[in-house]
Amino acid sequence: MTPFEVKDCALLIRMSGLAPASNLRELRDRIAVCSGNALFHHYCETTLRTTFDNPDYRNDFAVWAKLYLGDRVLAERLGILDPYAFHTMGELRAATLEVIDERLGELTMVPWARPGDELFFMESTTVVFDTGIRIANPSRLGATIRKMTNSSVYFHFLEARRRPPMQVDDFTSWLMDCGEEYRPYIDAVSSIDFYFNSLGFLRRELARVLASVKGTK
Amino acid sequence: MSSPIAAYEGVVGSAVLRQLRQLGEKLTGTRIVHVNSTREGGGVAEILEWMVPLMNDLGLQASWEVIHGDPRFFEITKSIHNGLQGHNVLLSGKDWRIYEDVNARNFERLRPVLEEADVVVIHDPQPAHLLQLCDRRKGKWIWRAHIDISRPFRPVWKTLRTITEKYDASIFSMAEFAQLLPHPQFLVPPSIDPLSEKNRELEPSEIEAVRSEYGLDPSRPLLVQISRFDRFKDPVGVIAAYRLVRKVAPVQLVLAGGGATDDPEGKAVLEDVMEAADSDPDIHVLLLPSSSHRAINALQRLSDIVIQKSTREGFGLTVTEGMWKGKPVVGGDVGGIRLQVVNHHTGFLVNTPEGAAHRIRYLLHNRSRIGEMGSIAREVVREHFLLTRHLRDYLTLMLVLSKDSREHAFEV
Repeated sequence: MTPFEVKDCALLIRMSGLAPASNLRELRDRIAVCSGNALFHHYCETTLRTTFDNPDYRNDFAVWAKLYLGDRVLAERLGILDPYAFHTMGELRAATLEVIDERLGELTMVPWARPGDELFFMESTTVVFDTGIRIANPSRLGATIRKMTNSSVYFHFLEARRRPPMQVDDFTSWLMDCGEEYRPYIDAVSSIDFYFNSLGFLRRELARVLASVKGTK
Repeated sequence: MSSPIAAYEGVVGSAVLRQLRQLGEKLTGTRIVHVNSTREGGGVAEILEWMVPLMNDLGLQASWEVIHGDPRFFEITKSIHNGLQGHNVLLSGKDWRIYEDVNARNFERLRPVLEEADVVVIHDPQPAHLLQLCDRRKGKWIWRAHIDISRPFRPVWKTLRTITEKYDASIFSMAEFAQLLPHPQFLVPPSIDPLSEKNRELEPSEIEAVRSEYGLDPSRPLLVQISRFDRFKDPVGVIAAYRLVRKVAPVQLVLAGGGATDDPEGKAVLEDVMEAADSDPDIHVLLLPSSSHRAINALQRLSDIVIQKSTREGFGLTVTEGMWKGKPVVGGDVGGIRLQVVNHHTGFLVNTPEGAAHRIRYLLHNRSRIGEMGSIAREVVREHFLLTRHLRDYLTLMLVLSKDSREHAFEV
């Protein structure tokens, strides 16, 4: 069994270089041309920010539509888009534009945000480094996760879904290689609805469900 | 003797320190020079006081240089500073030449260290011209703007832009504070030091002594706003909110800030505040010396709810400080307060005295929510707004610059 290499990452956020969007049409135009990294940032990296705890929606576009455009219909439609369900950023971009175009077609006026409430397009660079920590056996996975940084959990459990094998987290990927007897661990990890939880909660939840598997063995 | 960074282990945990040490290892020996215009006083000096020793502790070769100038130079740079923040200021060609000359004199003194550095971080506009003088530079030069330059007085920005656009990168506290520049623009929010006098844990006896000193009643709820007497902090609006709450709850209010005797605008605001307070014994307007860090710390800890009802705000570190003391914050829906206050989680964002009063009444009526939200607020600060995150951002920035790429991710 190949040990699991625990990595960590640090994100640095930067401006995308695009002018901010101050109305729905500008939002549409910016999303059409922004980089895949910017799209990923506004859909997926929200978990690393304080504003992630906004109780309504999990991506910046939906939150902005609700709070600053005052368009709850659009917010709901954007809010349900699950970025991890798309194989590529191009597919996610197309789905987002489809929702916005549909909404623009329904409205008689383009909703706009007040000065100071514009949406700024950002992206990030992720610096990944090896922590030197190795997990030799799945039975140690939960205890090790409990001591990980939130950014380590983000890298292995969320960001991993963007890397090959696509849509699979690193823990599951490793457990699948460990053998069929570790299937309960895979099931435990997959039982977590990761999309609606903060990283701190995910870390604790992963540790808990993995510990419960160990307890039943 | 333990290292400076080790002192933070009890606050942020070993995993965060391990992460910093691992990032530091990748940058061992990197020569980084910070340059600003003052060794003491002001937010930039406060940051560098902790950042430089901690960077050295992590294996970098960090140093801090200060440019010197005569009073005229600092009058000019104060005008540049105000112009960047949107004030209509008059700066002549001669003023800009004085600005350049003082930078040139400082450059001659700093030349060896600036030429050899791997990374130079120039803080704010005062030393920004040094870049153009250092044509034999080896490292990357970063301009760190600590202020909001999103709506500058155009003539000032037009000149300063020609200077700052030549940097390899710039850093802003928030996207909303930035101007578009033709180089990577990174976003690094400020932070607080949990071990500083303003934020460290205090003995209950010291906190109680502050309560007695200012005549605060321990049996009644306390609202506290800490900020200088400035119209954008809306202290009169806070009093209006207090009066609305006071109709249904026996609250007390503290408005505490620095002295305003040398600031005509501040003096006028203070007079308005005193008039609005109308000798109400439960409104405590406190003019505190700038060194009153522990008293401010204690007042925040004594509060039930921290108020920061700004109508315009920079990042709002007083909000961060209040949250770190485990208090929910009722804050203006502006600037960096939006990054910190999340409705129903860490406090409430409000736009009017009526909105503030409504949220304060909600919290006083649901006392358990004060504790719950305060607890979340403290954890949000621990994760996002302590100096350890700030330091991590700088280390990451240096690694990103050394890679010189716009890849989404890379391994070091």
